[in-house]
Amino acid sequence: MIPGVTLELILYVTALGLVIIGLAGVVLSSHLFRMVLALVIAEAGANLMLVLSGYRWDAVAPILMQRTDQPAMVDPVPQAMVLTAIVIGVGIQALAVSILIRIRQRYGNLKRREVAEKMDAEIAASAGIRRDISQDAPLGERPLSPLPAHTAESRGGDA
Amino acid sequence: MNNLVLTIALPLLGAFLLPVVMRLSQALGLWLGPIILGYGCWLLGNLWFSDISLPLSVAIGGFDAPYGINLYLDSLALLFAFAVQLLGLICWPYGLNQDTARRQALMLLLVAASTGLALSGDLFNLYVFYELAAVATFGLVVASSTSAAYAATFRYLILSGIGSVLTLLGIALIYSQTGTLNLAHLAQLAPELLNNRLGLTAYLLILIGIGVKAELFPVNAWVPEIYATASSRLSGFLAGLLSKLALLIILRLLVLIFDQPEAVQIVLILGILGVISGEFAAWRAKDMRRMLGFSSIGQLGIIFIALSLPDERGLLALLALSLHHLVIKTGLFMLADGWGGSLERLTGAAKRSPVGAALFTLFALSLVGVPPLPGFWAKFTLITELAAQSEPLYLIGLLVFLLATVIETSYLFRIVVKLYSSAETTSEQPEHQQLPGLSLATASLFGIALLTATVLIAPIGDGLQAVAAEAKNTELYIQTVIPATPGGQL
Repeated sequence: MIPGVTLELILYVTALGLVIIGLAGVVLSSHLFRMVLALVIAEAGANLMLVLSGYRWDAVAPILMQRTDQPAMVDPVPQAMVLTAIVIGVGIQALAVSILIRIRQRYGNLKRREVAEKMDAEIAASAGIRRDISQDAPLGERPLSPLPAHTAESRGGDA
Repeated sequence: MNNLVLTIALPLLGAFLLPVVMRLSQALGLWLGPIILGYGCWLLGNLWFSDISLPLSVAIGGFDAPYGINLYLDSLALLFAFAVQLLGLICWPYGLNQDTARRQALMLLLVAASTGLALSGDLFNLYVFYELAAVATFGLVVASSTSAAYAATFRYLILSGIGSVLTLLGIALIYSQTGTLNLAHLAQLAPELLNNRLGLTAYLLILIGIGVKAELFPVNAWVPEIYATASSRLSGFLAGLLSKLALLIILRLLVLIFDQPEAVQIVLILGILGVISGEFAAWRAKDMRRMLGFSSIGQLGIIFIALSLPDERGLLALLALSLHHLVIKTGLFMLADGWGGSLERLTGAAKRSPVGAALFTLFALSLVGVPPLPGFWAKFTLITELAAQSEPLYLIGLLVFLLATVIETSYLFRIVVKLYSSAETTSEQPEHQQLPGLSLATASLFGIALLTATVLIAPIGDGLQAVAAEAKNTELYIQTVIPATPGGQL
């Protein structure tokens, strides 16, 4: 093991890393279900952080016992909080998935762009306003003619 | 004093009982929610006029703070808790069918969570109520069961999920530094333990996390779609009250725990950005609901600017602006119930609905800040307070605020002119322009409240001043929750 790197530090970095991976996933993924999964990862990171905030390496589980030499115990409060947070997280994820099922039924797929487009179109239609351009479309003329479809695909653009 | 808990517990109980009661007796089921909320209003209203000395702290479950969770009731919390119950009653989803039963249960859940947000004195408890309010909101928006509502709710859910992850991280940081989550205990410990980089990081995480509901600048992308797809009554409740409750949490954190210049500056900068983005987007919007949504982002930005002001007068401006926005925006959303579509369709609507048009004009005048109306007084307090600050950032805030007022005037009075114009467009669909009677009546209620406030502006101002002074008093908060001498506990 590298000197100076304790298990505690590794765990803290892991927790923070999970959160960052999760948040990046939410921002970058182009599929709605992957966004939910990314959120699950981020929540796992936050929960780990919460557990770590009250953990002691030299202590035992917080159970009161009939003994004279009561050893130091781990702080039970963060563990109770983490349980609550996990339950809340699971509830919200279940709700998210059930909403996704409905979106899939109504809109036919779960691609982020397409769902956003269709939602915009529907809101505009129900409000009775003309929706001239997509909010992602550039305002002016294209400086270059668009690439053929297969080239655009291979360049990884999610258009 | 333990019946204060009932204002949270009864709606929560009612929410879970309602589906069962509805099956047993429909008449009782229909009245259950309004009765619970009415009782909450009565209870809190009684507290306001009784001679019980505020502030007070109620220990839940017999464990005294800081070991147990406590409810903290000062005038500010009482004001907002009362507003929650009352607005819950006003924005109640009245109706008969099976679908309304579900909505009513969720609405009770939302009211319970919102009251908890106003009263709780424990950081993690606040987080739980915050998530509860979020879940109830998702359910209520989805209840309109259009495809767009599902998509909009999903976006809101993801943003809110990010917010809750950040809040949890912030809470973990605070707990690892201090070992407590009781706000009063934190306020005691903050000057030595949280007055550093780590404390500021925790604050920033919680600010962004809670800010999702407060329509804070970078995390408010959900606002226009949700308000465009949710029912108007719900949008009124969300924009009018839930955003203010999130703001109240940030206010408590800022006053009690993170009393640092950097923390205040971040709020000011985000507020300024919110005003700019919100007002310009509202100016460009072509339909009523999204215009109101964007305008609410702008208004919340202004309130965040007020939040960053250091002294009591700043807090007074914050309270005045918040309450004013609560009345106005909820009233406007009630009008959007019938006028929710394209702004073009409103041409000549004053002829068909003179009361609605008059109310819209009244709300617009007050929102812009025309002198006799309360909006003027609220904005004037903020302007004088901003101008009195010496830091240049506040001056930028003042300039942005004045610019925002100009833009507001432009987009609101564009509609007023349309309402009263005599030119009828041919392509209109008249069924979209009928204001439902219930919404019109509710909007009139807000109009009357506004006019009453205009007459009673002096006593209201004095009252709010006292509330602000009390809320700003950190020492009093700590003393109330954790008395120095044992035996002083309630």
